Amino acid sequence: MSHLKAAASRTLQLAFVLWAVVTMLFLMFRLMPGNPLAAYIDPTFTEEQQQALMAQFGLNEPLWKQYLIYLGNLLQGELGQSFRYREPVAERIMTLLPNTLILTFSSLIIAYAFGIIAGAWLAWRRGALVEKTAIPLVLTTRAMPEFWLGMVLLAIFSFWLGWFPAGGTRPAGANYDSLFALYTSSDFLTYLALPALTLAIYSQGLPLLLMRSNMLDVMKEDFVTMARIKGLSNWTVVVRHAARNALLPVMTSFAIAVGYQLQGNVVVETVFSWPGLGRELVNAVSNSDYPLAQGAFLMIAVVVILMNLIADLLYALLDPRVSHA
Amino acid sequence: MTETLLSVRDLKVSYKVGRGTLDAVDGASFDVPRGSIVGLVGESGCGKTTVARALTRVIADNATISGGQLLFEGRDLAAISEREMNAMRWRDIAFIPQSAMNSLDPVYTVEYQLNEVLRKRGGLGRAQARKRCEELFEMVGIETNRLGDFPHQFSGGMRQRVAIALALALNPKLVIADEPVTALDVIVQRQILDQLRELQQQLGISVILVTHDISVVAYICDRTVVMYAGRVAEQGTMEATLTQPSHPYTMGLRNAFPDLQGAASGMLTPINGAPPNLALPPPGCRFAPRCPFAIDKCTTVSPETLEVAAGHGAACHRADEASKLRKLATRTETWMTTEMAEA
Repeated sequence: MSHLKAAASRTLQLAFVLWAVVTMLFLMFRLMPGNPLAAYIDPTFTEEQQQALMAQFGLNEPLWKQYLIYLGNLLQGELGQSFRYREPVAERIMTLLPNTLILTFSSLIIAYAFGIIAGAWLAWRRGALVEKTAIPLVLTTRAMPEFWLGMVLLAIFSFWLGWFPAGGTRPAGANYDSLFALYTSSDFLTYLALPALTLAIYSQGLPLLLMRSNMLDVMKEDFVTMARIKGLSNWTVVVRHAARNALLPVMTSFAIAVGYQLQGNVVVETVFSWPGLGRELVNAVSNSDYPLAQGAFLMIAVVVILMNLIADLLYALLDPRVSHA
Repeated sequence: MTETLLSVRDLKVSYKVGRGTLDAVDGASFDVPRGSIVGLVGESGCGKTTVARALTRVIADNATISGGQLLFEGRDLAAISEREMNAMRWRDIAFIPQSAMNSLDPVYTVEYQLNEVLRKRGGLGRAQARKRCEELFEMVGIETNRLGDFPHQFSGGMRQRVAIALALALNPKLVIADEPVTALDVIVQRQILDQLRELQQQLGISVILVTHDISVVAYICDRTVVMYAGRVAEQGTMEATLTQPSHPYTMGLRNAFPDLQGAASGMLTPINGAPPNLALPPPGCRFAPRCPFAIDKCTTVSPETLEVAAGHGAACHRADEASKLRKLATRTETWMTTEMAEA
């Protein structure tokens, strides 16, 4: 019963956060200088034509009415028309979102898998030469700007060695029966490799350092000492007890990192011409394509909020103290 | 005389501290007869826990057993290989930690943690392990339907019982209990101690009970080993050491503790001062700076253990005058003078 109550209150909280985000998005775009229709309206349009267009988009209505219309449309999944593409925003976003999610999750999963294992290992080898050389190296990767790293990887693996294509998601002219066929094709993987690697190198520092410092703390815990006194194997002590406990905060950070990564994607998607939400967002803002920008922002917010929910649920799953509390 | 299970001979454990070393245990010797409970008592930092941990050879990274022998059934634990030692851990020598809260892994059920020992260390199959788990829980008086619970779902006393069950899992010959009841309130302390005593007698195991609380020793132990500043000050049967203490430190300890039975015998008298810095131990007897009976010899010559009765020894130059000193030690004024002298 208490589980259900907790889940319900959690969902309610999320709904509130989502509403706040939506409202802020609405106001933000209304407060921006310039006429939102400037890009849409041709200079040759007459004043009457312009007014008619404003009315068509509902921009002549008072702000509160616009807000209610906006909320009403959102509830029906209606995100408006893109000024630039003259097509529904929802459709546009749905074609771009998978690209972004695939890039984000593949790079983060690589980064976290590597970071967790390497972090645990470095904690175990505390004081050894590997640790002393590895830590500054990791900090260096943390300090490298991702666009620079992306360009370096492009220069080496694409332009010089020619192992991987320079950008996009598919060879020129290639067509696939469905999106599924595209995402499961080996071509797609070669296109995904460099941007995913860039993001993975950029992101692995956080889980690695977090895992390492958690491990160092957990290794001092009594139950780890007890595991040794029990005569359990090194593997059992380090992996089953120390690493298992050190993992808890790292898993939470994964969900939160997804949110950060979506921002990071903006840069990497641009460098690798990756047709994702981040790149589209930049384009939309610079082209004053308000509905599309609004929709992209909203989508990113939804993903971040969902990931936070998943983080909470995951924590309850991994830590019995949370689920039984 | 019963057979000796464990004989600690001149044990020395050193910690690397900065550039120097510190001997937390500096030549401790005592015996654990088979089937008895030996209380290792002393104040914080006297080396009692270091001795306990040295017996498992799981000690701090900066610590080493730098001398002496740990003869367990005649086999020197300090000299065998890590592999041989690991084979003996928990099967022969088990451990009950001070805080069962922190020594049980919070993310696994109690059954998982019992199983881990039973199956990985005891080589039991799934069904056998399950049976043994239930047996152990019955032994320590917890309902078997709680096996699937996580450590945080138990009360402090119950967790300590779980720790006892865990220690008994593989029928060890020796159980080292490091302050097993310190974190508990007095009523639960008694229940746990009663249970420990009962199980110890029933199973015929030997126990080393590390404690700072002399009333716990009086309540449960057969023998007492009093440690001070890394050395054994006095040892003997519990009755002899507590009714006829022959080292001034033991006399002082007795004055400083209330009875677990609750018989309040007036004011408690503290021992003034603090234990010496082990990085720079005083020459001679280490208790001399706090001892109201110290003579010149005490500050220069380190005392050998003097046998005051059969199986009862005290490392004191004036151990032969013990009966006279005991009378003086019961007076509060005796202990006041040291404070004056030091001030």
